[in-house]
Formats: sequence, structure tokens, C-alpha cells
Amino acid sequence: MPMCSMQKGTRKNERGLLLLVLACGVLLLGNIASAQIYLPKPPPEPSEYGKVILDNYSTAGPGAVVFDHWLHRSKFTCRLCHVDVGFAMQAKATGIRASTNREGFHCGACHDGKKLFDGKTIFAACSDAANDKQCDRCHSLGKKGARKYEYKEFTAKFPKGIYGVNWEAAERSGVIKPVDFVEGLSVKKAPMRSREDFSVKAGFSWVNPIAFSHEKHSIWNGCELCHPEIFPTAKKGTIRFSMFSNIEGRYCGACHGKVAFPLNNCQRCHPNAPLWAP
Amino acid sequence: MFKAKIMAVLLFMGLVGLCGVRAIGGPHWSASQADPAQEAWRKEFDDVCSKTQDAMTFSQEELTVLIRRCDDLLPQIEKLDETRKKVYMGRLRMCRGLYAYVLDAKRNEKK
Repeated sequence: MPMCSMQKGTRKNERGLLLLVLACGVLLLGNIASAQIYLPKPPPEPSEYGKVILDNYSTAGPGAVVFDHWLHRSKFTCRLCHVDVGFAMQAKATGIRASTNREGFHCGACHDGKKLFDGKTIFAACSDAANDKQCDRCHSLGKKGARKYEYKEFTAKFPKGIYGVNWEAAERSGVIKPVDFVEGLSVKKAPMRSREDFSVKAGFSWVNPIAFSHEKHSIWNGCELCHPEIFPTAKKGTIRFSMFSNIEGRYCGACHGKVAFPLNNCQRCHPNAPLWAP
Repeated sequence: MFKAKIMAVLLFMGLVGLCGVRAIGGPHWSASQADPAQEAWRKEFDDVCSKTQDAMTFSQEELTVLIRRCDDLLPQIEKLDETRKKVYMGRLRMCRGLYAYVLDAKRNEKK
């Protein structure tokens, strides 16, 4: 009899152990799954990065517009387009139409057939006089060879980083000179005063603090593009930044991971961190 | 009689020409064009929102005045046509938001 109870006890222990192992396995799998969700997705090729397909109204007509963010960011500041011209930071929120372009808003704020850039007239967007070939310059989804600029050729002389063009270095070297004013829409302002860069302590001791270039961000974005809509308060300790929130598209993730350098590029924010996260 | 006919034809052609110019090449209303009634709000908008890069240098009183001026502009911008309204409401929201953000930061600094 005592032998029998001992066997029962061993079986119970085995079952308990099995349950424990199973629970650990489920926990581990869960963690891996959530880590998969919360790891930054590998970005596409730099030429595809930040590409916006505008297909709100145009699919039935001339076809969807392919907007290359890299092309426009080489010529204009973020602030100019997202504050003065009024391009929303979220998809389908701007309400661009051929008529609004013709009225001098949205793309038509610059693409009016009159304004000059680098001594060349900027073609008119959605002009009544445009032929199919001209329409295809923007309405180019699925039309091979319709676009004038290709990433590889256009950025051939730009300084490169670990992922595509290093735009900060490109501006520093004078290869690009982003314009911050468009006649008729922009407000004349005094030049932006230099903002002090600062570091943000990371939540974990093994992660290097973030070296944040406030100067660069304020020159490209202005103050009002980030505050208060992306970073709603200046009170220290109120916002808990994390890579999770960035990956979800909040805070730094409002731009980084979408159009500005990807979140996998660890060292750009955390000096001495690994160069690149998979 | 002949002269009158010529005059009538010329007058007709002139009228057709004028209508044609309007129909074919009539200037589209552009963002940079505005009638004098709209000029007042635009001047005020430009003035209020031209100071955003200096927001940190303003006192709490100055920031409060700027916020109030933004609020006063709102009803005028609401009257604009759809696209203009959307663009300028967005800009005003950002401009006012920044002044309120800086004011809040300054108040917290004093605490």
C-alpha cells in the first residue's frame, strides 16, 4: 500500500512538472509572438521607403498617384509641406483632389506651372491642358517609365548611411538645401533660433541614452509640427516613451519607421548601440 | 447701314472673345489670391502665426494674448470655402496648440 501511494505521488509530480513545462512553453511562445509584433518591421528598399499611394478618388480616372517622399524631402523641409501646405501626417486625411490642386492648394501650392525651383518651372498639377503623359508623371501606379526621377540616379551623389541616404549629412554637405517657404501660403518668419540638443535617458540600464538633435528637428519641422500633437507635454516624466509606442507610430514613430530613417537603425538615436536591428 | 453691320459684327466678336477668355483661360482662383475682405483675417493669421519659432521667449501674458488672438480668428476661418478652411484651420490649430503647450510648460516651470 505505501508503495502504491508513492507511485501515485510520483505520477502527480510528473503531471505537475509536465503542466509547468507546458505553461512555460506557452508563455515563451506568447513572448516570442508579442516580440514579433513589437519588433520593428524590416523596412523596404530605400527607393520604396516612404512611398505614398494616393488612390482616394483617382483610381477610376487617370489611376493612383505614387508620391515619392525621398524626392520631395530632398527639396523641401517637413514643415513646409506638413504645416504650411497642410498635408496631413495620416493617410487619407488631407483630401487632395484635382480641383484643390488647381485652386493652388495641396500639390498645386507648388505645382502651378509658374513657380520656379532650381531655375526650372514646376509643372502644373492636374492642369486642364495636361496630356496623358503629363498626368502619368504623378498618376504612375503600374505605369513603367512614367516617372521622371528614379531613386538610384537621383541620389547617386548623396551621402549614404547604413540605410539609404543620410539626409542630415546630405544637408550638411550642401548636396540638398531644403526650401522652407512657398509664396502665397507661408508666413514670413525670422530664422529659427538654434535649439539645444539633449539626451533622453533610456528605460533600461543596458540601453544607451538617446542623443536627440533638437536643433535638426526644429529646423526641419518647426516647433508646431511636433508640439503638442506628437509630443503633447513638456512636463518631465509625463510621457513614457518606449520602442513599443514608436513601433505603434506614436512619438518618434510618427515619422521614424514611416518616412524618416527606420527604427531598426539603432545607432542613429542610441550612440554605440548595435548598428542595425533585424 | 453697312457701317452699323460692321460695328455690330465687331461688337459681337468682342463679346464672344471676352466670354471665350473667361471660359478657356479664366484664371483659377489661387491660394495666393484673396479679396480685400479676406485680407484682414489673413494678415492677422500671418502676424499671429509668424511668431511660433520664438514661442519660448514670450512671457505667460504674451502667450495668453496670442492664444486669444488665435481663438478670435477661428470664426473667420470657419467661414472660408472648404479647402481653405481645412488648410487654415489645421495651421491655426497647430499654431494655437504650440502657444498653449509653451504656456503650459512655463506654468509648470514656476511650480
